[in-house]
Amino acid sequence: MHGHTAAGKLQGMTDDALWYEAALLVGITNAINVVADSPLQSLAPAETGPEAEQVFAEIRAFYDRAVPAVFRRLGGDPGYLADVWAATHRAFSDNRLTRRFKEALAFAVSVTTRSPFGTTFHLEEMKRLGVGERGVMEVLGVTQMFSSYTKIADTLQLESDMHDIAPVDWSPAPGGAARHRPAKA
Amino acid sequence: MPMTVRLRDAAEYAEAAQKMFELSRAWFGYDFTRPPAMSRVMAWDPEFGGPHGRAMKRAMAPGEFTRAEKEMVAAVVSGVNACVY
Repeated sequence: MHGHTAAGKLQGMTDDALWYEAALLVGITNAINVVADSPLQSLAPAETGPEAEQVFAEIRAFYDRAVPAVFRRLGGDPGYLADVWAATHRAFSDNRLTRRFKEALAFAVSVTTRSPFGTTFHLEEMKRLGVGERGVMEVLGVTQMFSSYTKIADTLQLESDMHDIAPVDWSPAPGGAARHRPAKA
Repeated sequence: MPMTVRLRDAAEYAEAAQKMFELSRAWFGYDFTRPPAMSRVMAWDPEFGGPHGRAMKRAMAPGEFTRAEKEMVAAVVSGVNACVY
């Protein structure tokens, strides 16, 4: 993992903000997928009220489609649904990374974790946001090849020797104060 | 966790592998003091490492997504695979 973060920084993605944004996206993608793919059919459908319906309306507008079942499941606790949706919406909205690229990241995460829901959903979102067949194949190729490298590295228990090559971003957290940059040894 | 194998120094590799190390340096655009561990693993068997590396570079080439974006895709794939390398 260190290797690719370092390699990405060497390719110009030097700002840590980009990597924080990607990491938060990975987390919430996996969180949605684990519930979406769980066999919860024995649970009664969630009973929802106006509070949940308001969130569902936001979800429908964001995705331009019916509310995915995973969010309907959460509707039984509208406060929880609202917070999960707020985090999801934040993570997938255009920011330093584009929404289109974020869907590609979520697709890669979903393929890697063998998530039927996530793979289908984010593939559809990628296409809806303009990623062509070539772009899909590019993401699949990268996902496949680095699913190979990572397992080779794990099998041999390789230790990362790449993280030191990444340029360090000394900017503060959003809205925070800059810290004193240590002098080079 | 200690590595299960001894990684050979670059000098312990055959001439054919030295070219792979040069390609690795060019690929990352970084002048390593010694080839990265993964490069040395892949150079162990050039008949595997060669085509595997070419497939990776083909997948990572700029297209609808940039090389940098693809490095980020690779990073998240590694992350969810819980790979520390």
